[in-house]
Amino acid sequence: MTHTNYRLVKTLLLLFLGIWLVFTLFPLYFMIVTSLKPVEEINRMIPTFWPQTMKVNNYAGIFADPGSLKSLVDSVIVSVTNTALSLFLGTLAGYALARWIRGVIGENLAFWILSNRMFPPVAVIIPMFFLFDSMPWGTDSYFSLIVLYLVFNLPLATWLMMVFFRDAPRELEEAAYLDGYTPFRAFFKVTLPLVFPGMISVAMLCWIFAWNEYLFANLLTGTTVKTFPVHIPTFTLGSQTLWNLVMAFSLVAMLPPVILFIILRRYMVRGLSLGVVKG
Amino acid sequence: MNAAVSESAAGAAAVPTDWFTRKRRRGNLIVSPFVPWVMVGIPVLILVAIVVYPTVWMAYHAFQDTNMMSLFSGEWTYVGWQNFATALTDDRFLSSVKHLIRYLLFGACLQVILGVALALILYECVKNSTLRITILILLVLPMMLPPSIVGVLWKFLLQANNGGFNHLLINLHLLPAAERIDWLSSKLSLWAITLVDVWQWTALPLLIVYSGRVSLPPAVYEAARVDGASGWLVLRRITLPMLKEIIAIAFIIRFMDAYKFVDHVSVMTQGGPSESSELPVYIAFQKGIREFQVGEAAAQAWLIFAVAAVLITLFLKYMKRVLKAQAIA
Repeated sequence: MTHTNYRLVKTLLLLFLGIWLVFTLFPLYFMIVTSLKPVEEINRMIPTFWPQTMKVNNYAGIFADPGSLKSLVDSVIVSVTNTALSLFLGTLAGYALARWIRGVIGENLAFWILSNRMFPPVAVIIPMFFLFDSMPWGTDSYFSLIVLYLVFNLPLATWLMMVFFRDAPRELEEAAYLDGYTPFRAFFKVTLPLVFPGMISVAMLCWIFAWNEYLFANLLTGTTVKTFPVHIPTFTLGSQTLWNLVMAFSLVAMLPPVILFIILRRYMVRGLSLGVVKG
Repeated sequence: MNAAVSESAAGAAAVPTDWFTRKRRRGNLIVSPFVPWVMVGIPVLILVAIVVYPTVWMAYHAFQDTNMMSLFSGEWTYVGWQNFATALTDDRFLSSVKHLIRYLLFGACLQVILGVALALILYECVKNSTLRITILILLVLPMMLPPSIVGVLWKFLLQANNGGFNHLLINLHLLPAAERIDWLSSKLSLWAITLVDVWQWTALPLLIVYSGRVSLPPAVYEAARVDGASGWLVLRRITLPMLKEIIAIAFIIRFMDAYKFVDHVSVMTQGGPSESSELPVYIAFQKGIREFQVGEAAAQAWLIFAVAAVLITLFLKYMKRVLKAQAIA
């Protein structure tokens, strides 16, 4: 009796999992299908779940369009520069917080830095908008985006690097000191290799957050600099949206973070949980 | 000299298991003492410049009647608490607060519940490990997508007449063939945004809780099995208590992200139709950058900021406790 009950419950649970899987994958499937359809087929009253005329020229159109390519390049420039900056500053600060600045001050400093990530950016962006507007570079520039993305990436990088450095045993470093290493050399030769997987996960997370960012880019930029989320509305011509191009472009733009995630999933759990879960 | 040594020894004895001071001995700093302060100082200065300075600027302007004209001329007058009074009596702002509460309750809370359930079902019921990892990756994919793209995709799917979602429901016979649900109408728009949020962000608690479940010691489960404990008992008495902290942290991260998140609103509905899906953060942006009513926007931003400050303080206190407990273990 209990055995059949158990199997029934298990089947129901698996059914729920299956329904959720369908719910999760259907939009992605429909996105891929739409990106392969011509625009006339999309505008029909009854949407087709399998394209009747399959074409890849939507993708060719994306790669032939200089505006789309420039927006992807802009996204790469902003996100990579911001990630490099966050990782560099975060590694140094994380190391100092993990090794040297401790006690009440270090603890509060670390949590204050982390708290910056959680605050709504609304109190940040309105003043920065007017500040950058009065500066020679203006709001619509690489500089303004790269600096503003530090609002969420610098606290994350600093906090996570601190967590990773705390996990790396201090004894190895002390042994290096005894062997006559300078602190600089001990840091590069001993500690940095130990936290290298952590650095990869921090870099990937920072990069994904910068790549995916929409709000700041939408409010600040749009003409000189145009990251890909800001570029998507340009596929709307008058009252008609070219959904096939939107979907093809979106698929191209979202592929890099998805691939990175699949490859580096193992390293990301720790970072996503702010260092709490040792994935 | 002696006094200093005994003082530091007493200090160490008072907090021997502190997460931040554990295993850390003072006095073997080889580099000059100001080097670490420079290393921490640069990020701190940057954060002061791009976070603290703007916040103070907003605090100042919350008490002024600043608008677009006065920003150009540099003249504004002190109006006291008037901007806060305007914000707190503004129906649009107050209803957006109601929207936010509904959105957090049915969004963030539901995501954590669903995430925990799905993570545990996936771990316990799918025995083939390759299949399990594949399903995990597929379920977690939405989280990695740019929220702006997710918004555009769902705006496309939720179109009333020829939207894919309505027709999926029709094909599954969950909806009569002649009927169309207008998801982005003023009645349903906030629910639609919550739905999209659940679609995208259930993955975060799912991934965190799944990883937490993987790292639980198998010996405990072995013992429970030997004792003949039922699956329900194991879940209630072993799994959930041991995952308590991880679930709480997942909830905290998700809650604070949802609190400040307006990308889906901005892409899918722009607060509409007729202000039915506006969130406080979105209104403050509109007031500040589109309408240039900086004084009122500052007051709204500060109300949002103050609530966030209280929540973050509580959450970080809890997180500190969890991390300290982890370092002892």
